[in-house]
Amino acid sequence: MSDIINLIIDGKSITAKSGDTILTAAEKNGIEIPNLCYIKEMSPYGACGMCVVEAEGMPKLLRACSAKVSEGMIINTKGERALKARRIALELLMGDHKGDCIGPCSLNCPAHTDCQKYVKEIGEGRFEDAVKTVKEVIALPASIGRVCPHPCETACRRQHVEEPISIAYLKAFAADEVLKSGKHILPEKKASTGKSVGIIGGGPAGLSAAFRLIGNGHSVTIYDKMPKMGGMLRYGIPEYRLPKAVLDTEIEEIRSLGVEMINSFTLGEDASLKDLSKKHDAILVANGAWKSSSIRCPGEELDGVFGGIDFLRAVALGEKPDIGKKTAVVGGGNTAMDACRTAVRLGAEEVSIIYRRTRDEMPAEDIEIEEAMEEGVIFRFLTNPSEIIGENGKVTAVKLQVMKLGEPDEKGRRSPVPVEGEFITLPLDSIIIAAGQKNDPSGFEEIETTKWGTILADEITYTTSIPGVFAAGDTTNSGASIAIKAIAEANEAAKYIDAYLDGIEIPYKKPVLSERTVTDDMFTEYEKHPRIKMPQRAPEDRRNDFTEINLGFNEEEAMQEAKRCLSCGCHDYGHCKLIKYADEYCTDCKKFSGEYHKGFIESKLEIITRDQNKCILCSLCVRTCEETAKKGILGLVGRGFDTIISPEFRNTDIRSICADCKKCVEVCPTGALKITE
Amino acid sequence: MRVVIGEGSCGIAAGAAKVHSKLHELLEGTDISVGIAGCIGMCFLEPIIDIYDEKTLLKRLVKVKEADAETIADALNKNDFEALKKYEISEDDSVFLSKQTRIALRRCGLIDPESIDAYTDDGGYSALKQVLTSMTPEEVIEEIKASGLAGRGGAGFPTWFKWNAARKSEGTEKYLICNADEGDPGAFMDRAVIESDPHTLIEGMLIGAYAIGASHAFVYVRAEYPLAIVRLQKAINEAMEKGYLGENILGTGFSCFLKIKAGAGAFVCGEETALIESLEGKRGMPRLKPPFPAEKGYENKPSNINNVETFANVAWIIENGGEAFSALGTENSKGTKVFALTGKIKRGGLVEIPMGLTLKEVIYDIGGGIRDNREFKAVQLGGPSGGCIPKELLDTVIDYKALSATGAIMGSGGMVVMDEGTCMVNMARFFLDFTTKESCGKCVHCRIGTKRMFEILTRITEGNGKEGDVELLEELCDGIRSGALCGLGQTAPNPVLTTIKYFRNEYEAHINEKRCPAGECATLRTYSIDAEKCKGCTLCSKKCPVNAISGVLKEAHAIDTEKCIKCGQCKEVCKFDAVEVK
Amino acid sequence: MCENCCNSDLGLLSEVFRDMKNNGDNLITVLQKAQDIYGYLPTDVLYEIAEKTGNSPAKVLGVATFYTQFRLKKVGKYLILLCKGTACHVNGADGIEKAICEELGIKDGDTTDDGLFSLKTVACLGCCSLSPVMMINEETYGSLTPSKTVEILREIRGRETE
Repeated sequence: MSDIINLIIDGKSITAKSGDTILTAAEKNGIEIPNLCYIKEMSPYGACGMCVVEAEGMPKLLRACSAKVSEGMIINTKGERALKARRIALELLMGDHKGDCIGPCSLNCPAHTDCQKYVKEIGEGRFEDAVKTVKEVIALPASIGRVCPHPCETACRRQHVEEPISIAYLKAFAADEVLKSGKHILPEKKASTGKSVGIIGGGPAGLSAAFRLIGNGHSVTIYDKMPKMGGMLRYGIPEYRLPKAVLDTEIEEIRSLGVEMINSFTLGEDASLKDLSKKHDAILVANGAWKSSSIRCPGEELDGVFGGIDFLRAVALGEKPDIGKKTAVVGGGNTAMDACRTAVRLGAEEVSIIYRRTRDEMPAEDIEIEEAMEEGVIFRFLTNPSEIIGENGKVTAVKLQVMKLGEPDEKGRRSPVPVEGEFITLPLDSIIIAAGQKNDPSGFEEIETTKWGTILADEITYTTSIPGVFAAGDTTNSGASIAIKAIAEANEAAKYIDAYLDGIEIPYKKPVLSERTVTDDMFTEYEKHPRIKMPQRAPEDRRNDFTEINLGFNEEEAMQEAKRCLSCGCHDYGHCKLIKYADEYCTDCKKFSGEYHKGFIESKLEIITRDQNKCILCSLCVRTCEETAKKGILGLVGRGFDTIISPEFRNTDIRSICADCKKCVEVCPTGALKITE
Repeated sequence: MRVVIGEGSCGIAAGAAKVHSKLHELLEGTDISVGIAGCIGMCFLEPIIDIYDEKTLLKRLVKVKEADAETIADALNKNDFEALKKYEISEDDSVFLSKQTRIALRRCGLIDPESIDAYTDDGGYSALKQVLTSMTPEEVIEEIKASGLAGRGGAGFPTWFKWNAARKSEGTEKYLICNADEGDPGAFMDRAVIESDPHTLIEGMLIGAYAIGASHAFVYVRAEYPLAIVRLQKAINEAMEKGYLGENILGTGFSCFLKIKAGAGAFVCGEETALIESLEGKRGMPRLKPPFPAEKGYENKPSNINNVETFANVAWIIENGGEAFSALGTENSKGTKVFALTGKIKRGGLVEIPMGLTLKEVIYDIGGGIRDNREFKAVQLGGPSGGCIPKELLDTVIDYKALSATGAIMGSGGMVVMDEGTCMVNMARFFLDFTTKESCGKCVHCRIGTKRMFEILTRITEGNGKEGDVELLEELCDGIRSGALCGLGQTAPNPVLTTIKYFRNEYEAHINEKRCPAGECATLRTYSIDAEKCKGCTLCSKKCPVNAISGVLKEAHAIDTEKCIKCGQCKEVCKFDAVEVK
Repeated sequence: MCENCCNSDLGLLSEVFRDMKNNGDNLITVLQKAQDIYGYLPTDVLYEIAEKTGNSPAKVLGVATFYTQFRLKKVGKYLILLCKGTACHVNGADGIEKAICEELGIKDGDTTDDGLFSLKTVACLGCCSLSPVMMINEETYGSLTPSKTVEILREIRGRETE
């Protein structure tokens, strides 16, 4: 018998040694056959069913890890039957796999900042690394850390124990620490591409895009109509929340990369969109939403009626709007909170919030509401302006319709309904309407818009109706939102601008991820360590000036707070073979969901932590422990669906048997095993 | 005169041992001896007593109870056979045996399984003698090849081929293994053979061992068969004593040792590589094939595995010639096949028939049709690996190919008959429940796939089925079939696929109308009282745990369907069959 | 995990190990014999077996938990094996199981608080013609109905409480 076997794999004629498996023969010839329970060093096992291939003339699929090559064999590794068997194997595994590939903090952040990573780095005192991590996504960490309504914290699993991690403030802390030390963490600039990008709008979106694009070797110019860069961060967020000195430092960092920044530039006056398009190879429109929305209430034209953001902008510009002694702010969002607290600081004696629902429904952050209350703002819930009353063209009062909450709708939301005939009249010197904001389309008339008048941008590529013109942030699609969302869009847009300038197309596929659904009772084992409260100036002190109210964490507080992180995201994401294949083969990972196998986290071996929830029973750890480490500590327990892998059952001295070789961790194809931290 | 009591496990369960001891007590001191035989396979008539004059069967008494012993002993003592008339088997029931052709079961129920003399007196071990003294191993394999004998465990692989492969495999140390891990729920052919005629198995195995060149053999028996183990061990001991087993058998120089290994409760060990793992004392998880056992089996040595029924045919083939065996059966399926006929059948028991009979002939001519005058609905063949064959296909002949074409399989011989009251979705669920519990857990497709199929089937039977569930099941079936590691997983979809194929409307009724056409699925049932039949005895209303039944004495009662929890107790207590289930 | 730890008389195993050496008994056979001695497989017995058979404790536990015959917990005085084979299923084994569970207040695999009964459903007892069937210790009961089953259980309980 000849030692050399000729066969064909995927149309490629190859030779193999007699006795080789199909998998070995394929690998030697650069043909990849997926597998989860196989490693070269051990005898094949056949559990995962991923390496199945089709052999011509054979009705059954062959497991390539064990089937030997034979003369004249014709193998198809990508046949429909094989792909289907693999897909089903993966869909079954994914339906029985309980773990978070990525922490919910990061998933819920519109920009997918790697919160878990930087929180961990802060916990370890590695502040520079933390800032580096943040800057992968957020170019202005000290500013955003102060103002972000932190969707990350909303999703934080720690709240099932007691309270979420203070992720946003930790970010600000790390950025402050690094800035204080005089270090600037900036991307390494790639070689110049000779291409230039013009960005209209120097707010969070424009600055972020500039940061990315200049790092990639393009030249970047930002055009902004205000006297200074920063957009809403500067003109919409009051000083006491975000000191402009902090913002200035971070903007200067970006400028230092070589970004040209042109202020007091009005599109349509100083240059048209066409002009800019000619000048640059690509344009990003990120001019935000700067017009206050009306509440369509009689009397809005009166003197002493201010738009929420108009009011904040005026204050930021150093103007002193005349709001008199008694003022009220209409609205329940963060802008309303900023406005009322600014009004307090401007010296108004009585500041009210007029909101048509109750506190529970207020969209503003809890902390903002609390702080406003501490500063003496009066909250008039369940009231709605029906008329602004004036004398001689000047506001004197507002007539408020008393509201009540109606019956809950299908989603359980209770809309406010007027209580017939019940009104209150509130005497006022001024009224601030903080009921939303809109974009200003002037100068962008050529670009296709949505029915709300915002710029229509592709939600994946951020292209507009004009080739080479991209748009992101508040000015697009569904309109104004939070800064981090604008940043997220700008980052993505920058990626697609990059590709556009390189003349390539990036295919888009939503990555397949494993996510857990959790309940409080899954967190009972954790010791409670309440969230560390951000130190603040006393209300009676802070309400008199615009100095920042938060004093910031000290190092010890920050590290302690960071250590509360439960590290939900899988340490193995990026290396996990299961998710890699699932991403490649699965159409619907939830298709075959049902009861999960028994899951628990166990660390009897101390140096190794095993998460049974993520185990796919490939048995590589068991086999390695037995065959390679010659220890046989791990074993399969039980049968069928309820099979688990468990270290042997004695309670004492098991640790001493382990060879500490950690081979089991190395061979695990998922994140089920890890070195205990 | 001899009184022989059929004492297989189910005969004993039906009271045979009690009858035995009573008769023994009553007939002690007379010239009438009391002995035992194995199981003749007429389970529906147990306990059975045969009365012999020397070797002639005089009478066969059936359904004998302990209380009847006195009458029988009395009649025997007086030689008054008239008095036994009422116990005698009816002509109708005799058909059950007379229509069979018995090879594997040829001595079952007819000889004392605990006596090697009874076996040799009946010509036993002559085939072994013949083989050892006048045939080469190759000639034995040739003879088996000529017989067309195929593996009776279910897959139907040609026996000679496996023997030949094991014979040709390199190595001097080889093993012969008998698979008696009869785990298919609803099958008990192998148990009956071992309990009733263990030497036939031993003889067949020895011939096989000689053919492949093995000097060590194992019988892997389910632990749930204690009586079979006891009788087989006794047979081994006696065979050792008489020189049929062990060193230098019959002075021919051929040696072979036989050991029993009791399984410990795992259906998957019926799969040959899992069985080998289990024999080695490990978890019974299937190995990858190749290498096949003929190359690397027990202790990585060449091994051959056949099931009990296969071996039970071997001595007969040697005695009568391969051609005599292949004369029976069809083009592609030779010889006979044993079935355990159970379920809603009038005459249930062990049936051995030549291949080529139709299902109808077995169920109606031998089995007597459906019990309680109900309608035949389907017959299940092959257990958890098999499928349900509907009424329209009753004329299918029993032959490997023809049965596979229906989507079912020949299987090891379980044949469960179902009537109109059996829900086919629930039947599929039953088998998946089984497979899920018996899956070893090694491969993904089977471990998780069968679980998911079971969950989907459960929600359908509970009225929570969703549109698209049938398609989801089909998709799973397809994937599991092609991806699972061993036969257990690869065939696990069969019960689902065949019920979908033939009874899709039942699935749809459960899913779309939340209705179980067979009235079996408890949560989908509605109970009502037929006012015509109800005598107003109040029994049901007293029994109802939720007071859902109202009515006054001697007047028709009624069930409040809103309150009813469908426990079925009313139906059980009703003496007038007035409670209807829909 | 130590609920099954106990001070078993390990001396009782010496014969089992002797047999093992003489007959080449495999691990399963050793475990079967041990269970015959102790009625179940206590943890210390499993360790002793691991030690004496040269297997790792993990492997011994793996085998002991793979096969349904092995028990790691004590069973009741009366072990009810309820057949759930196909024939029994067709003839109403589910109803019998329900009746047993309701009567004894236990689930499959459990033991009653008084330690009298344990229930274990089994794949097939091979007495299909008597279906539905259960075995209580050595005794087989066939052609069961829910009420007949309850009667049998009550009779045993009555006998025991006398």
